Amino acid sequence: MVRIKYRYLLCEVCVSERSGLQMLAERPIYDALRAALGKAHGAHGAALLSVGSSVTYVNAYTGVVLLRFRKAHYRLLWSALPFVTSIWSRGQKVPCFFNCVHIGGTIRTCQKFLVRYSRQQLCRMLPHCKTEAEKQEVRRAVLSCSLNKFREEEEDNDFGEDGEETEA
Amino acid sequence: MDEEPSSYERVAYKNDSVYHYMKICLIFGNERKPLSAEQFKQLIISGLKELYGEVGAAFPFDVLTFDQFVLSAILRVYNNGLVKLWSALTLIGSCENESCAFRVTQVSSSVSKLILVLKSTGTSCRSL
Amino acid sequence: MSSHLEKCARSLLVCEKSSFMNEASRHETHVCKHSFNYKISVLIPECGVLPADIANVISHFKSYFLVRDLPVYKFLDAKFLDTVKKGGFYALSYKTRIDEDNVVALLSSGHLVLSLDKDTYQQLGLEGKPSEYKHRKDMRYVVTVDLTDKSLVPGTKRFQQVLLSLKERVPLKSDFLLTRCPPGAEEDGELQALLSQHTYEECRPTVISRSLTDIPRPSLHPSDLRGNAHSCTPVQFLEWLGSVNLNIRCNNSASSFLSTYVCPEPCATVNKVLLCTVTGFIPPEDVYALLQELRRCLAEPGFTDWVSLTVHGFADSPVSWGAAEHGFLKGGENFYNLVCFKNQDYWLHMATGSQDGCPP
Repeated sequence: MVRIKYRYLLCEVCVSERSGLQMLAERPIYDALRAALGKAHGAHGAALLSVGSSVTYVNAYTGVVLLRFRKAHYRLLWSALPFVTSIWSRGQKVPCFFNCVHIGGTIRTCQKFLVRYSRQQLCRMLPHCKTEAEKQEVRRAVLSCSLNKFREEEEDNDFGEDGEETEA
Repeated sequence: MDEEPSSYERVAYKNDSVYHYMKICLIFGNERKPLSAEQFKQLIISGLKELYGEVGAAFPFDVLTFDQFVLSAILRVYNNGLVKLWSALTLIGSCENESCAFRVTQVSSSVSKLILVLKSTGTSCRSL
Repeated sequence: MSSHLEKCARSLLVCEKSSFMNEASRHETHVCKHSFNYKISVLIPECGVLPADIANVISHFKSYFLVRDLPVYKFLDAKFLDTVKKGGFYALSYKTRIDEDNVVALLSSGHLVLSLDKDTYQQLGLEGKPSEYKHRKDMRYVVTVDLTDKSLVPGTKRFQQVLLSLKERVPLKSDFLLTRCPPGAEEDGELQALLSQHTYEECRPTVISRSLTDIPRPSLHPSDLRGNAHSCTPVQFLEWLGSVNLNIRCNNSASSFLSTYVCPEPCATVNKVLLCTVTGFIPPEDVYALLQELRRCLAEPGFTDWVSLTVHGFADSPVSWGAAEHGFLKGGENFYNLVCFKNQDYWLHMATGSQDGCPP
């Protein structure tokens, strides 16, 4: 079997005000990406984007975005990512930048990474908490996912390792 | 001056030349525009920017000779920029709102070979 | 950056260093094997006018004939066959392109080389082999007929078959460039007689001499072919040679917008350089005669340290050196350059493009 290989870029959209995240949607992100590519790599870059690329997943609460590119030219498309400085959504300009946290060969590996990454983020949040209530909340969250961690590892052993392909 | 005759030595280089040379000429659809060498190079650079953007077009090339009367030039470009330069030249279609086109007469990896096209007879470059 | 945009076709450069005095020196074979020469350029540093001896040799270059609409089967004519068998006969189809048309060439060895597209090849019915340079499918075929072969005399079965193919199956015809360099006595009238029933014109090679003043010149050292210590690398040298031929300025600053080409280091300025170019259909015998004369001139006291002789082959010839197949792709380049030094050493640079075998 031959399949077209893709690379999935797991990105965080960083905005100055949290309200901006609500404006995120597939289409505005794609348009912003195409504009950045047009500037950095011209018509050639924009044409490569139009083949097989898509915005697969957008989480408007956490700002996590999953981009899908063809494996053959994902490096070129990736290089235009830092040039995205704002997204036009519903007639409003949202200043933002993309922070690419992971590149995976399948959505599954990206999802696994995202879970691990979010857990680490929780631990990092702890020292920044200001009130006792906030601290309790974070601790509870950390504990709840620590239990999940054990369960998940058991599952992983059952299914074995598959689809684990990452590229630096 | 009176040295011993040197011994035989043979070296073969494959893809040793880092440059490619292109002989091109610009033709206009209707009215010919007077162009300076700088404007000519700028026209090519703008074509490159359109096709490959600011990052993709950022490679150096040289205009070795430029003839203002027939608008022909010899370009020197690094091997890795040849395909980009050539494709950008092909897609340049207008110069200051005047339709125009680039004709690539000859491409070579050594400038010595390009001598072939520069002759006074004005016949096709590929035969005599 | 996508790598497929940065690839480009291969090119070859073979450099040799030897001495004319060397018994095993192959300079004569190299010159004589390169059958179809389009342009010769001689570069003599420190020289204002072309020496009379050299000018004399050039003026004795053979005339060539441009024949219109010559059918290929005429080469099988009994009279023609006799001429061909004597050797020194060169023919090449004119204004035919090696990558799209049918190209015919006749070498001095008596081999008739036909480089044909697939349709013509299939109609012709002569045995050949597919071209070495193809993309995916065989679209071009090369047929070689040895005209000096014993089985190819009028009357034999093989002869009839070849004649039938070229005369009736596919009546190939084309404009031809012809020249003849008989090894023995001069028989100039012979070719004219053969061509009398066709329209033809006799052409002389065009000679242009130019004198250039105050140009930088790289220093060369005979024993240092690779340019490790005293002189520039062969590629740089050839680039400089081309820049002189094309009148390219080499005094650009590194920050120049237009061009950053400079003469390779170490270099010195020479007062005058003579550049003489001969264009035409030049048989290798004439090139060799010129080379011998240049060597003789070099031996004279007061002449320069080195001279360079560059010979360009036809871009659309079906062969380059000997019977090695030649293709065009994007340049069709095949040329060689001889740098002769005062102590009878020489450098030979042979360069080919992507659709060509390695030079001998």
